[in-house]
Amino acid sequence: MLVPALVFLALMVLYPFADALWLSAQHFHFGSESRFAGLANYLALTRDAQFWAGLRVTLALYLLSLVSQLVIGMWLALLVHRSKRLRWLARTLLVSPFVMPPVVVGLMWLIILDPTLGLANWLLSTAGLPPALWLASPQWVIPTIALIDTWQWAPFVALILLAGMQALDGDIYEAAAIDGARGVALFRRITLPMLGPSLVAAAMLRSVDLLRFFDIIYVTTQGGPGNASQTLNIYAYKQGFVFFDIGYACALMVTLTAIVLGVSGAMMRLRRATAW
Amino acid sequence: MVEGHASRRLHSALHALQMLIAAFAFLGPVLFMLSSGFKPSDLVTALPPVMVFRPTLENYAAVMAAVPFLRFTMNSIVIAGGATLLGMTLAVPAAFAVSWNRMAWPAVLMLMTRMAPGGLFLLPWFVMFSSIDAIGDYWVLIVTHAAITLPLALWTMLPFFDALPRSLVEAAMIDGCSDLALLRLVVLPLVTPGLAVSVVLCFVFAWNYFLFSLVLSDIGTRTLIVAAFNFVGEGATDWGALMAAATLIAAPPVVLAFLAQRHLISGLTSGAVKG
Amino acid sequence: MRPIFALAIALLMAPVPIRAQGFDWQAHKGETIDFLTENHPWSNAVVTRLADFTKLTGITVRVDSLQEAQMRQRAATLLQSKSSSFDAFMSLKSFEGTLYASAGWYADIGAMAADTKLTDPGYNLIDFGAGLRAGETFNGKLDGIPLNIEGPIVYYRKDIFEKCNIAPPTTLDALRAAAATIKACDTSIIPFAARGLKIAVPYVLSNVIHNMGGDYFASGKPALCGGVGEKAIDWYAGMLKDFGPPGSVNNSFLQLRELYGQGRVAMIFESSNEFGEIMKFAHRADDTQVMLLPPGPGGSHPTIIGWGLSINAFSKKQDAAWLFVQWATSKAMDGELALAGIAPPRASVAISPDYQKFLAASPLRQVWAALLDNMGRTGNPEVGPPVTRQPQAREIIGDAVDQVLLGTASAHDAACGADQAITAMLNAGN
Repeated sequence: MLVPALVFLALMVLYPFADALWLSAQHFHFGSESRFAGLANYLALTRDAQFWAGLRVTLALYLLSLVSQLVIGMWLALLVHRSKRLRWLARTLLVSPFVMPPVVVGLMWLIILDPTLGLANWLLSTAGLPPALWLASPQWVIPTIALIDTWQWAPFVALILLAGMQALDGDIYEAAAIDGARGVALFRRITLPMLGPSLVAAAMLRSVDLLRFFDIIYVTTQGGPGNASQTLNIYAYKQGFVFFDIGYACALMVTLTAIVLGVSGAMMRLRRATAW
Repeated sequence: MVEGHASRRLHSALHALQMLIAAFAFLGPVLFMLSSGFKPSDLVTALPPVMVFRPTLENYAAVMAAVPFLRFTMNSIVIAGGATLLGMTLAVPAAFAVSWNRMAWPAVLMLMTRMAPGGLFLLPWFVMFSSIDAIGDYWVLIVTHAAITLPLALWTMLPFFDALPRSLVEAAMIDGCSDLALLRLVVLPLVTPGLAVSVVLCFVFAWNYFLFSLVLSDIGTRTLIVAAFNFVGEGATDWGALMAAATLIAAPPVVLAFLAQRHLISGLTSGAVKG
Repeated sequence: MRPIFALAIALLMAPVPIRAQGFDWQAHKGETIDFLTENHPWSNAVVTRLADFTKLTGITVRVDSLQEAQMRQRAATLLQSKSSSFDAFMSLKSFEGTLYASAGWYADIGAMAADTKLTDPGYNLIDFGAGLRAGETFNGKLDGIPLNIEGPIVYYRKDIFEKCNIAPPTTLDALRAAAATIKACDTSIIPFAARGLKIAVPYVLSNVIHNMGGDYFASGKPALCGGVGEKAIDWYAGMLKDFGPPGSVNNSFLQLRELYGQGRVAMIFESSNEFGEIMKFAHRADDTQVMLLPPGPGGSHPTIIGWGLSINAFSKKQDAAWLFVQWATSKAMDGELALAGIAPPRASVAISPDYQKFLAASPLRQVWAALLDNMGRTGNPEVGPPVTRQPQAREIIGDAVDQVLLGTASAHDAACGADQAITAMLNAGN
């Protein structure tokens, strides 16, 4: 029962991974023969300013997006949980953004956020605020991309949290209400702690994707302005598929995989700590 | 300590306001995209935004004329559908085995495949498939996208299998059911919501994935997503056509998800991915 | 029977051709070839005429058209794996020529063109300017046929110039002064816009460097630091910083075309290719004028590049592909495309009465064509530093400009940093 899946895994995943590891130990550039490099690519990586910058960008984007998505997702979940009418609106809301192709999402926001021709700055101007550079600003590009990703995935987080909310026993709420807990206190003391496991589950699921942030950036800024939004994944892609430095690109991607593994491992431990 | 009428009305008003804000924030951009597809190109980037306009189908016509849209859509359906089928076929029995035997490592292994950036597999795959001169073949694209759907399907199905009453399954096992028959006749009917969720998610995620098609497809097998980039480039112009193309590309997964929304939501929230 | 008789009889029986066996358009009738191309006005125009080719030769052409970056990536990955899955393809020699040629990825078109059995007698290879052909030649081998010529030019709003009392600038300093005047005179329009997207910058920056009398390299080594290159970076980034639109750093031809077309910018420094698209916007056909980048201390050395049609060295249908190349770059085709607005690479087409009449219908187009003619003769084909790893090198240069534009480094530091980065890249190279 398990065997076919494992065979597939071995062929399509484990073998290529081993191959990529091997490639990362080569000096391999398109158009020329490959030479063995040992750890040279990895050493070069540690001395590469763009690697460290990419790591910073990846982590900053990750943390910002994750926190935003959890918070907004929680807000959405609470909203939908309490809406008895407008069920259809709630459902459409929740389901639409994250099923849209990232390519489409990127293109859409690219136009909306264009500094000169876009809707967003026009809205700002009608509210009397100065126009923003959004994706063109080295300082604000990361929050802007986090905004776009949150727009797309907060509903998904909300769905996961809704699961947790619906599983919460109604009696607990009644007991708490009798005890006088209400509103914010109710949320802080009862709801939030009991949603711990759901929050961690959502965080884990999103973490794996956020650390490998690629699609939206590829479609919108390609790592710009300058290198301000160049995540490790984008940098590795550029090295491999634009500069055709395959060996170095593989080294970057293997390193990124290790980072994701590390963070996921840490989250798993967190999950075990909060599970009951 | 009963809430007064006024306070309840305030609460529901606040609630409605928040719903409105959420609707504007999350559905607004989608409406923008939808409406832009029907505007003549120069109106799309015109400011203040043109709300009232005569809708035109010229953008859609341009899109259909510029690219073999139908073929690309068929390709996307074949590849996403094939990957879903393959992924589910491999994942469902595996998920059951993992759940039943309470194994952790296969699931963790699957999760690890999601941790590597797509590009990591792409180069070895490219070398692998080009050596048998299969680049651009349908089956290559289906198999590579199955690497996306397989972990997804497994992880989505696991909680549903976990929730099965073991006694029921044990009883069927004692009755001498073979593994596959057990699965087919007893277990699967019990987890159809999970299957529905899995299928929809697999299809949507496979449809939306562009990296593999970008590099591994050829003219005959290119997917719709990759075609989106064709509208950006010298000689091609308008934002209007771009938004029309975007709408066409996003439509199938969105419509599918919309149709299945009840199942999707109840499936996901009935503890599919709980803590 | 004696072999000699058999031979004699065989010769007598063989159909004797009326003239010597020569070129035949139908030589590969029934075959199918694959053409990998990018979304370029040239290929878009040719693709609409493919039915004619099939009628002439009986060959079916499958077209795979992608955006430039994707097309290049696809071509390189397939060529690297020695794939035969495409036969003819568009290639920008100034970008990837050195890499592809040194890897042996281009088929020898020169040899095919010299073969009278393979080449149409009326093809006339030398109709293509010597400079253009030189751009397609590597190590003495002709690797492609020129498709077009293009280079950066300045598009400007003559009505704004009139309004603000500005004469068309004749030096780089005057161009900057003009921008300053516009900024003071009309606050509703952005004075100047040009590329800021890293990898796209060298295309226009090279013109500035050469006009200022400088170069990327001197004596085989990067020479921006402390030299003219540094001043060029300073000038270019300064123009964008002081007079450019917000978000210049992300701009390439698409954004610039849109900005100018919508009337938001008074001057753009962008490819001559954009001419046709810009004219489609309302009013621009009437209020636009074009000129070369004004000369600097080094004179006028416009950057000129040309796409080329090449054949995959691993293609199994090279002769059939060569038929396609000949048809697509024939005098007749170039003539037709010229009337559709594609600057002709063939001298005979450029001076043909049909083309001249077409130009005469629009004075602006005449000026544009004259500019291209000038560029063809005096232009410099060097876009980025003369290295094999063009994409990387161009990003380094563009990054230097962006640093100055964003204010994170002075022109001196950025230029010296770029030199160092290129040297490091060359040292690490394999």
